[in-house]
Amino acid sequence: MADGVASLLALDVPQNGGYMVAAYIVAAVILAGYALSLYRRSRNR
Amino acid sequence: MTLAQRGRWVTLVGLILLAGVYVRALAFTPTEATQGLAQKIYYIHVPAAVWAEMSMIFIGLASVFFLFLKDPRLDRFAEASAQVGVIFALVVLTTGPIWGKPIWGTWWTWDARLTLTLLLFFIYLGYLVLRGAITDPGLRARYAAVIGICGLVLVPFIHFSVLMFRTLHPQPIVLKPSAPSLPGVMLVTLLFSFGVFTILYIGFVMQTYAIAVANETQVDG
Amino acid sequence: MIARKDLVLEFRTRTAFLSAAVFTALVLTVFNFGRDPTAVPTLDLAPSILWVTFTFAAMLAFNRAFQLELENDALDALLVSPISRSSLYLAKFVANCVFVGVVECVGLPLFVLFFDVPVWGVLAPLAGVIALATVGFVAVGTLFSAMVIRTRFAELMLPVLLLPFLIPPLVGAVQVTAALLAGRPLSEVTGWLRLLAAYDIVFLALAAVLFPTTVNE
Repeated sequence: MADGVASLLALDVPQNGGYMVAAYIVAAVILAGYALSLYRRSRNR
Repeated sequence: MTLAQRGRWVTLVGLILLAGVYVRALAFTPTEATQGLAQKIYYIHVPAAVWAEMSMIFIGLASVFFLFLKDPRLDRFAEASAQVGVIFALVVLTTGPIWGKPIWGTWWTWDARLTLTLLLFFIYLGYLVLRGAITDPGLRARYAAVIGICGLVLVPFIHFSVLMFRTLHPQPIVLKPSAPSLPGVMLVTLLFSFGVFTILYIGFVMQTYAIAVANETQVDG
Repeated sequence: MIARKDLVLEFRTRTAFLSAAVFTALVLTVFNFGRDPTAVPTLDLAPSILWVTFTFAAMLAFNRAFQLELENDALDALLVSPISRSSLYLAKFVANCVFVGVVECVGLPLFVLFFDVPVWGVLAPLAGVIALATVGFVAVGTLFSAMVIRTRFAELMLPVLLLPFLIPPLVGAVQVTAALLAGRPLSEVTGWLRLLAAYDIVFLALAAVLFPTTVNE
């Protein structure tokens, strides 16, 4: 995608996709995990 | 529907839309040329940071009104906001270093957002720990309100401190961070994400509030 | 009058002053042994060391102040009296300021001695900054310790609650101290001085207003 465009312009895009994946996973885990814990806490009434 | 049930639905909607944000950010938003893919962490990091701070502002406002009106609902809302604020702060404090490492070259930087969120995180922790240590509900609510108001007042001081510190000590930059004016596509993604985090805040707070109510009635009953 | 009462109590239990002073000396000593003089110039770390030490000492002071009161059941008696709550706060504030001030008067010479820092030329402005920052610390610390003393684990609770609030004045104090010790003119750090002053005014007023809430039944 954008990397294709970048390589056309001979720009050196840093290959740091791994960090992006890690961050997105961590954020999802925290938010979904919290949502899950809230769900279970509010059901056990 | 009870508050808890409505809260659950709101949260569910929020999570589904969050998946939408993920898809949009990862697949349909262009990669920033100088920072690479890691820049996309921005779309999660920034809205979370905004809401981590907003949670504190809400706590502060609720605390002020509580001291005047003595309405326990305000106290419950403040407590809920603190619990949710911790979670958003956690998102910021984890995604921040993961973003920082490739962009700034170091895991931690004392930039405005991270420093503020770190201090907010500690204030939230202190607030919740204090609440946990007091059994009398009236006392707990009053003391929590005091901390909440002080926390709110502290926020501008933190902003100024960090601002002054940064102008003195410029950060070591490996790659330049994103410019303030985002191209349209990126701005839309950011705003979309901000909307989703708003929905998540509301859903989380609704559920947390409902749980607090249920806890109280359980204790009384 | 209440401030005097507090101080009189303190003098009778002179161990409080003594332990804070000894603690300060110990912390400074530990810092000295912890550093490698060839690695980082003393002057870089000195301001931070000074202020960390003062912060720890202030924490000690706050805990002691209210503990004394609780032990003597004085608080309830005071509450029944016709003294206004805000005056009660100001009295405690003054008493704490004096306590911390005395500890700082002990700590500063030790600091100068251990770390061989050039203070003589800047003693007056340095004292001014120390006073300015101390007012901020004590304003918030007095309020928080009033609340914390009623909880379990008060000694643990106070730092957890208080330290985030001390960061802005602490950063300001360190910056100004560093500038002074490096011989830089005060005009360079007016921003920080204004921050310190603003913090003092705002939080002293806020704490005085909020204090009655913490002692009302």
